[in-house]
Amino acid sequence: MRLAWRNLSYDRLRFAVTIAGVAFAVFLMVFQGSLLAGFVCVSSSVIDATDVDLWITARGVPCFDFPAPLPSRFRELSMNVAGVNSVERIAAGITSWQKPSGVRQTIIIVGADPGVGSAFPLPYLNGKTDLVFPETVLVDNSNLDALGLTTMPVDVEIGRRRARVAGAVSGFGSFIGSPYVFTGYNDAVRYLDFGPEETTFLLVRIAPGSNTQVVQQDLKARLPEADIWTRAQFARRARFYWVIKTGAGGALLTAALLGAIVGAVIVSQTIYATTMESLEEFATLKAMGASRWYIRRVVLIQALVSSVIGCAIGLAVTFPSAKVVQGSIPWVYTPWWLPAGMVLVSLFMCSLASTVSIRKALRVEPGRVFRA
Amino acid sequence: MRESLLTTENVTVTYGSGSSAVHALDRVFLTLDVGRLTLVMGPSGSGKTTLLSVLGCLLTPDSGAVFLQDRLVTDLSENERGDIRKQFIGYVFQTFRLFRSLSALENILVALEISGCRGRQARETALRVLAAVGMVDKWRLKPNELSGGEKQRVAIARALVNDPPIILADEPTASLDSLSGVQIAEMLLKLAEDEKRLVLVVSHDSRWLPFCHRAIEMRDGRIVDDKDVSALSQ
Repeated sequence: MRLAWRNLSYDRLRFAVTIAGVAFAVFLMVFQGSLLAGFVCVSSSVIDATDVDLWITARGVPCFDFPAPLPSRFRELSMNVAGVNSVERIAAGITSWQKPSGVRQTIIIVGADPGVGSAFPLPYLNGKTDLVFPETVLVDNSNLDALGLTTMPVDVEIGRRRARVAGAVSGFGSFIGSPYVFTGYNDAVRYLDFGPEETTFLLVRIAPGSNTQVVQQDLKARLPEADIWTRAQFARRARFYWVIKTGAGGALLTAALLGAIVGAVIVSQTIYATTMESLEEFATLKAMGASRWYIRRVVLIQALVSSVIGCAIGLAVTFPSAKVVQGSIPWVYTPWWLPAGMVLVSLFMCSLASTVSIRKALRVEPGRVFRA
Repeated sequence: MRESLLTTENVTVTYGSGSSAVHALDRVFLTLDVGRLTLVMGPSGSGKTTLLSVLGCLLTPDSGAVFLQDRLVTDLSENERGDIRKQFIGYVFQTFRLFRSLSALENILVALEISGCRGRQARETALRVLAAVGMVDKWRLKPNELSGGEKQRVAIARALVNDPPIILADEPTASLDSLSGVQIAEMLLKLAEDEKRLVLVVSHDSRWLPFCHRAIEMRDGRIVDDKDVSALSQ
């Protein structure tokens, strides 16, 4: 398929425009896809960090970030349900943080019992996961600037109470502007001024051999004023809320689709223009006896070569850009399948863009070769 | 003893309909033999190019039949006609119709690729044919780097590379200077006489007459004169 290659390199400017179109589309799709993937992950990151079986929330709580008060006596009620092994507590809510400079910042304080999971960020005592340092908090690396932290440990004020920032963790950057600050359950209750009968989430670990669904149903029957979710269900609910209900995911997805459409239009236009300019050559090929498949291949190869090169350039630009953007949007995440998928999408996009050109090339009359 | 290869019987091609209908070919009967260069002449609009298209299996007539080696080709499918063109017919055009992005050698390799011949064998065949038309030393050059005569030589090489028994040439010297025109005419005559091919040339140019064996005159889609001029060329 020498002809396909040579036709591309013959008009270098047009080839460059085609490649730029594909590269732009791939960049936009992967970048927006990374934002969306990161957004999906971060919207349930706290829930995913626990290793419990069930979450108990107040009725209608859509996600972790907008908790509602839950009576703490529900813990005792839950403990009496058959199949429940343990019930841990999480207190979460919005409060104020006073930076060392004196400036105030709104934060989401998250305090949990030590048993919620070893991946859950808590200021554990001496590395053991059963005891938490009192009056001590952890913050996410990505929020150090927002919280005015330059050194650690450092003393700050949370909800007008003293707290010591012991260290920073990664992967728990907040996307709603109020950084997460992690601490032990009792300290969180103090920082949030919760009463003794108040909590926000109860996390249930079921006994070995018990059926999760059965325990979930029993808890629903016992606590009709609460919602009972498996961890996966609550994570899914949180993602659905942030990605779909708020429209944020739709906006990101729309931008990615627009990228694909713009790319497809640019590619189809340039390939169509190339084909139209080469119509006489296609007529010559047909006169020489070239099969329909041969002609189809010439156009298709031009499209696919543009796609592969454009895709490579688009990806080469995307990764450094994503790194740069991670400075301000730390939760940008590019899963391995996204670039791989984009290669396929771009091949499909270029093939689709070439269909009109292929039809045009196939319809050309070979008899026109004798018209000077 | 003459050997007929291409025959038309009562071929009619009409463009348009009703009162604006034009008979590009009007009940044409023609038999063409191998080993001869036949010249078709006539004014513009006389039907020369349409006749060439019908004989070249590029256009299906509205009525009548075209036989190639006694095989009726007018009722074949487009794909089958493509195979016939590939196997039996080489075309030479007034405007050369070389692929502008390809070198002289690559232009010939495309014709071989279409016929399923690739790789080293194809390259050797292409170089051999280029040598036969005196263009082997310019195999790297692209059409825009060649003179008109050189382009036509490459076009003839491309037409010959699959060794077709029929060469159809449309005004092959119209875009060339006199010297190049004579060289191309001699080349086509040689193809007919030495290689026993059927060569049909359509031209306005009466300077072709010394190089042909037979001259056909067309007017208004009909053959109005058909004479043997072999004696002139010898």
